[in-house]
Amino acid sequence: MIGLRGGISAAIIVILCVALGMIGWGAQRAAVRTIVPTILAKAESVGRSAAALVETAVEAGIPPEKLAGVPAYFDDLRLQNAELADIRLVRGNEVLFRSGSAQDVNWPQVRVPVTLDTGATVADVVIYIDPSSINAQVAAVLIDVAFIGVVALLIALELVALVVGARAVSVLAGVEARIRDLARGRLVRHDVIAADRLVAPIDRQLDALATRHAFARAEAQRQGDAHALEALDAVASKTGLGAVHIVGNQAAAVVRPALFLFMLAEELTRPFLPRYVQMLASPSLPFGPDIAISLPIVAFMAAVALCQLPFAALSERIGRRNGFMAGAALAACGYVLSALTGNYFLFLAARALSAVGYALVFVSAQGHVVDRSAPHERAEGLAVFVRAIMVAALCGPPIGGVISDRLGGEVAFLFSAGLAGLAMVLAALSLPASERRVGAIGLAPSDLKAAILAPRLAALLFGCAFPAKFILAAFCFYLIPVELQREGFSSAAVGRLQMIYPVIMVLAVPLFAALADRFSARSGFVAAGGLLAGAGALLVAFGTSPVTLAAVLAVLGIGQAMSIAPQSALVADSARHVPGGRSAAVLGLFRLVERSGNAVGPAAAGLLLGSVGFVTSMMTVGGLVIFGAAAFILSGRAASRRTSVSNEASVP
Amino acid sequence: MTRTTVVLISLFAMIAAACVAFGAYFAYATLLTANRTAVEARFAITAQRISSTGELASSLGIALAAQQTLTELVRREARIDPAVRAIDVTDERGRVLFSSDPARVGRDEMARPPDSVSRVMENDLEARIGRVIVHYDPVILAQGAKALADDLRAIAIPTLAAAAVATIAVGLLLAAALRRSLRRAADPNQWPEAARAALASVDAAHAAALTGHASANRGF
Repeated sequence: MIGLRGGISAAIIVILCVALGMIGWGAQRAAVRTIVPTILAKAESVGRSAAALVETAVEAGIPPEKLAGVPAYFDDLRLQNAELADIRLVRGNEVLFRSGSAQDVNWPQVRVPVTLDTGATVADVVIYIDPSSINAQVAAVLIDVAFIGVVALLIALELVALVVGARAVSVLAGVEARIRDLARGRLVRHDVIAADRLVAPIDRQLDALATRHAFARAEAQRQGDAHALEALDAVASKTGLGAVHIVGNQAAAVVRPALFLFMLAEELTRPFLPRYVQMLASPSLPFGPDIAISLPIVAFMAAVALCQLPFAALSERIGRRNGFMAGAALAACGYVLSALTGNYFLFLAARALSAVGYALVFVSAQGHVVDRSAPHERAEGLAVFVRAIMVAALCGPPIGGVISDRLGGEVAFLFSAGLAGLAMVLAALSLPASERRVGAIGLAPSDLKAAILAPRLAALLFGCAFPAKFILAAFCFYLIPVELQREGFSSAAVGRLQMIYPVIMVLAVPLFAALADRFSARSGFVAAGGLLAGAGALLVAFGTSPVTLAAVLAVLGIGQAMSIAPQSALVADSARHVPGGRSAAVLGLFRLVERSGNAVGPAAAGLLLGSVGFVTSMMTVGGLVIFGAAAFILSGRAASRRTSVSNEASVP
Repeated sequence: MTRTTVVLISLFAMIAAACVAFGAYFAYATLLTANRTAVEARFAITAQRISSTGELASSLGIALAAQQTLTELVRREARIDPAVRAIDVTDERGRVLFSSDPARVGRDEMARPPDSVSRVMENDLEARIGRVIVHYDPVILAQGAKALADDLRAIAIPTLAAAAVATIAVGLLLAAALRRSLRRAADPNQWPEAARAALASVDAAHAAALTGHASANRGF
């Protein structure tokens, strides 16, 4: 049975798919009506320029058929303009010079006459345009529009999740849960909800049944009728009679909308940040433009990494909700300052302030999920957490790019500030009241030592967590974009390829997290994911075409989707083994090591690319990741051997 | 529940409409960028031609400022395409050396003025010696933007309305089904088949247990 909330959520997906398909169709028509004439106008411009040259030569007394270098000139024009399939200089029906070959005389063409000052036409420049090239240009635009459709759909799903998870609709959840249980033949009782008038008749029936069952059981027990007791327990077990309906863990679902909005705020800045910084950086700075552009990005990443450890304890001390709200407020202030300042160093400070807020929000949201989920449901909860971040990473850049293009970078930063503020309000309304932990008083070196000595944690951190971010940053942010740009692909094409990774993560992370929890095989999923992600890099041995690189990114996405949520859950599990229950130390250490991979990845990739080339760099990074995963597997074998030895030793 | 249902359906209809509007606007923005790229590609060819000429002369040892023939070249290129408003050749500091519009010579020009396409000119040592800037008529872009907006608006507004109406219709159908299920759930005789089967098995077990006790009591 599908409820109102589930049904309308499914319906909205179908409706939006159809509606966005219609928009795509409209965009295709608009593109053909607008962009195709523009391409023809470009061909005409090329034709007019060529005709002007011929006119000059003919006016100088050279007959058109005696012109030198015309085919080479036409070849050069075709080389610079891929859509020009055939350029001819014709006189009547006679072709004087020609470059290329139109396969069909019905291809779109432009004809520009070569007219002398006297008004006489001595020849024509005829240009044929390859329709497949026009179609390719329209198709590229439509792919971008399709990605926009995916982004719109993902945002709709996040908004639907926000509405469905709201406390105001809990009455519907209660009604639906009762009807769904009955449809499944489950006669369980439910907690009383606000709309008890509506569900009271159902609850009365189920309560009466449960009371009758308790009476029958008590009677059977009093009589010592073991056979009747067994039959009653069997029917109770089969129908759920007397039991209370268990609501699944909602910790991740509760924090997801606020986290999504906050992450979206930061992701908006990605596409325009380098250009914005370039405008701020004056020539009087004590360093070059490349460093000036990269410094705010490096400062942001470094601040996020360095804040992980201290904020893990701070978030525990002030409470998760307070931590989230304080982080969002700090980040919002950072965005406002970024928008308003024209000074490079103030901008740098503003980005660092946003990074501090980002780290506090991240740590608090993660802590909320870990605190409020049982060990067996942790991977699934963290998968929801990861999904919110990935959806934001997917939706933010195209939206930020458009806002920046149309309204300017300053407005885009203010938009980010607004989103961070909205996330703060949402966190205040949706997260449970903060529970301050008096014991959380910062981290001592002994805490970190205890954390690193937790079972298999070092192998997990340095064999899996660090390499995972290292390979991601090296491939997605550096090696593949640089290689594609070197091969002449546009930024849009590179951007489309870069979206493969987050799309796969969004789709596959919840699936693999649920499987890892169901089969209690988190270590297996982490190791297999690492091996797969590293092995994908070896595909470049077969070539470096965009299709091969897309396959590398797809395999990387699948591998990391397998490992990312189980990895976080394993770290949270390790926290339980640390003396004094210092989970903050373990989680902080985990994020510090992981984020360091983000920072080191592009730098190491740059060094490798300069010294050994693209293919060897890719394979080297992939090999390192495989090596790390193998070390993690071996650490598990060693640990199990130690456990069995100690068990044997303890047998008298 | 009625109020909650109405609010929920309204919110979902608004989400559907907002996301269609979002998709349409961003599709428009994407097409606008594609149109700008296609328009500017046309003027980039002109800029490329002029800069190649300047670079060739430079490689033969003629300083950019001394290439007086560039004036005639930029005038001819500007005449060829009626959408070109002016073509400037600037030195490396941005001062206009030659222009199709004589009034512009001597001005300081920014690297990338609005509604223009520029191309850097380099010498054989790849040092920047100047820049060619083609200023085009912004009406071309405005015409394209208007055509795109008209085309997309024609499809987006009905689609947006249809998406909202469809969401409301589905929501009302589902709400009606939920109400019917709720009414039936109050009466065990109208419960779903699985629930009735479960109830029958419970009744049978209770009856067996309680009757068994009764017979046992009678036996005593």
